[in-house]
Amino acid sequence: MFRSVVAREIRILTSRPIYLVGLVVVPVLLAVFFVTLLGEGLPLKAPAGIVDLDNSPMSRQLVRNLDATELVSFHQRYGSFNEAMDGIQKGEIMGFFVIPDRFEREAVSGRGPTLTFYSNLTYYVPGSLVFKGFKTMAVTTSGKIVRTDLVGKGFSADLAEVALQPLVLDMHPVGNPWLNYAYYLGPSFIIGSIGLMAMLMTVFSLTQEIKRSTAPALYAAAGGKVWVAIVGKLFPQTVILFIVALFCHSLLFHWNHYPMNGNEWGMLLGLLLFVVACQSFGVFLCSVLPNPRLALSLASLTGILTFSIAAFSFPVEAMYGGIAIFSYILPVRYYFLIYIDQALNGIPLYFSRWWLVGLLCFPAVAAIAAPLCRRWMRHPVYVP
Amino acid sequence: MKGVMSDIREWVLETALVVRRQFRLVFTDPGVMIFFLLLPLAYPVVYALIYNPEVTRDMPVAVVDNCRSALSREFVRHADATEAISVCGYASSLEEARTWMADHRCYGILEIPADYSRHLGRGEQAVVKFYCDMGLLYRYRTFLSSLTELQMATCTDLRQVALNTLGMPDNGAPSSVEARSYFLGDTQQGFASFIIPGIVVLILQQSMLLGIAMLDGASNERRRRNRGYDPLLPDVSPSASCIGKALCYVAIYFPLTLYILHFIPEFFSFPHQGLPWDYLLFMFPMLLATAFLGISLQGLMRERESAFILIVFTSVVFLFLSGLTWPRYAMSDFYRWMGNVIPATWGVEGFVRINTNGGTLAQQSTPYLWLWGLSAFFFATAYLSTRARR
Repeated sequence: MFRSVVAREIRILTSRPIYLVGLVVVPVLLAVFFVTLLGEGLPLKAPAGIVDLDNSPMSRQLVRNLDATELVSFHQRYGSFNEAMDGIQKGEIMGFFVIPDRFEREAVSGRGPTLTFYSNLTYYVPGSLVFKGFKTMAVTTSGKIVRTDLVGKGFSADLAEVALQPLVLDMHPVGNPWLNYAYYLGPSFIIGSIGLMAMLMTVFSLTQEIKRSTAPALYAAAGGKVWVAIVGKLFPQTVILFIVALFCHSLLFHWNHYPMNGNEWGMLLGLLLFVVACQSFGVFLCSVLPNPRLALSLASLTGILTFSIAAFSFPVEAMYGGIAIFSYILPVRYYFLIYIDQALNGIPLYFSRWWLVGLLCFPAVAAIAAPLCRRWMRHPVYVP
Repeated sequence: MKGVMSDIREWVLETALVVRRQFRLVFTDPGVMIFFLLLPLAYPVVYALIYNPEVTRDMPVAVVDNCRSALSREFVRHADATEAISVCGYASSLEEARTWMADHRCYGILEIPADYSRHLGRGEQAVVKFYCDMGLLYRYRTFLSSLTELQMATCTDLRQVALNTLGMPDNGAPSSVEARSYFLGDTQQGFASFIIPGIVVLILQQSMLLGIAMLDGASNERRRRNRGYDPLLPDVSPSASCIGKALCYVAIYFPLTLYILHFIPEFFSFPHQGLPWDYLLFMFPMLLATAFLGISLQGLMRERESAFILIVFTSVVFLFLSGLTWPRYAMSDFYRWMGNVIPATWGVEGFVRINTNGGTLAQQSTPYLWLWGLSAFFFATAYLSTRARR
């Protein structure tokens, strides 16, 4: 029985190109797209502007130092604040640095001039990086002037250093000392895309049986057992999707050397459970909503929202409680947590146990809902 | 002359017929209605609700205080008072704190060395360590900015104490250069204020593409049933067919655009600087280009449901190509060009600058011209694909 359903499904999968496209081509293309797009890991050399109203040796030195940092590169010199603002609004630059008139004179004579910098946060990542570059330079410039001042007042160089910075903050970004942004976007979006396509293809292929009125044939091939029909139908897709997922896994962690500090077998287990969980999500949708349009709409809705709500960038604990809870009914959230625990932080698999359990809940829920499918398998009704 | 006039008249009538038929097709198809109305109405609200808390505050941090002196406790109190940190407990050793972090009970460890207050008392440099969980870059950024401010404030206090003990008069404090920083556009550094203005433009494009794809799939199903002929589409010239369809879609989207671009930022008090005329005029060619892009894809959808498989995933691709999450200047030329031919890329850029940075339409000449160019280009492709399918 099981075999005949699988054989039937393999015939269906090979009958139309859309299955190949949805199960293999799209996930692989997306994986290649993200990996090549995020190549460098951290976008460096953000375009920035400078407004140098002083034009002194000291201000020019400052501009040169700024330009030498890896975070910003000066595309443009502007004559005034207004011109630079115009540059921001035209999108030429992500931020600008203003050196005031008489900067050198006031700095040397100890009258405390003010450096001002503006970062355009409408684009968060470049805005933040520009801010960081500017801030570092403003602080070091200030430091140099204070040190000169202190030495001039008769301090030894060592003492001046201490007086300048009595307390040092030693930041340790554990697991990602390079602050590589791609480590978050890459795996979450690539594996998330597999999840999206797994959900869509599950719903698509199940509801096709309704649309084409072939569900009774499937039901008969399964010997009148709903679970044989569903598992048999989805098993070939599970195999294909897991092979694609393995390809993406190797693409990320082996060919592109994304960090893998923990238990790789645990991650692969998580990956397999993730694929099954996404399919189970699709089965659940088809059980309670046997209508191609509505089930596919819901699958797309959740699949696309996954990328926001599963919190790859904005933390779940900061979201409203009523929204945050949805994060945990989506499989990709658990995969992402396993990825962070295992690949990035490299902690024992024991601490990720609940995420694996979470992934197991999806097939369990689908198994409870699946008997509802019996009705449409026997009497499929297509509503366009 | 008369012949030309009657040709034009005929063409206009044909176009009007296409518009009427399209309106009926759209409003009688519940699947298309989901895409054309429900999606643009509901999605912006859902996204806004997800990100509306804007910032993250008071993340749990474990403290390993090896010094246990009045000075170290004071530092911990100050750390606890910052925006980012909420001390969740004192761990007896770094090992214990690491277990807490692995158990997801805290996102950071603040370690104060045993010689902290001795160093400070002797007028030497003290070092405080912070181990940050890198599960999200956003947490690290928040921790870093709070801790840097704390460090600078503490330094100022300590410097004054040190100078006093060294016998320097109060006014002998060294002069320094002040640094003042301003954030433009998203002044509160909120996450929603940054991402929503861009996302909503993408929603406009993607929902329209999905709807057009579904209409096309339905039309192809009818054609198969009727031996290559769709009874619900009038038999008119390709240009009238393209323009009629596009007019219908843009007309449906106009009120939605107003809702999405004007009312959504108002509802959630996101940054909303630009003039409505500027961004509505700006959006017009984007809608037009999107409509023609959708029409160009006709024939690709064998059935209604294909739209889900072939269009939905492109949202993720277009999101990245638009430069919202990954800046476009850091992309390779290939991807920049790929982004150039997507209407939403320019739509996002221009709208964000008008809406959030308070720019004018005149300042968005590059994206605006691109959008008109894309409209012309996709009209040509839509015309060709319509002609090929007659």
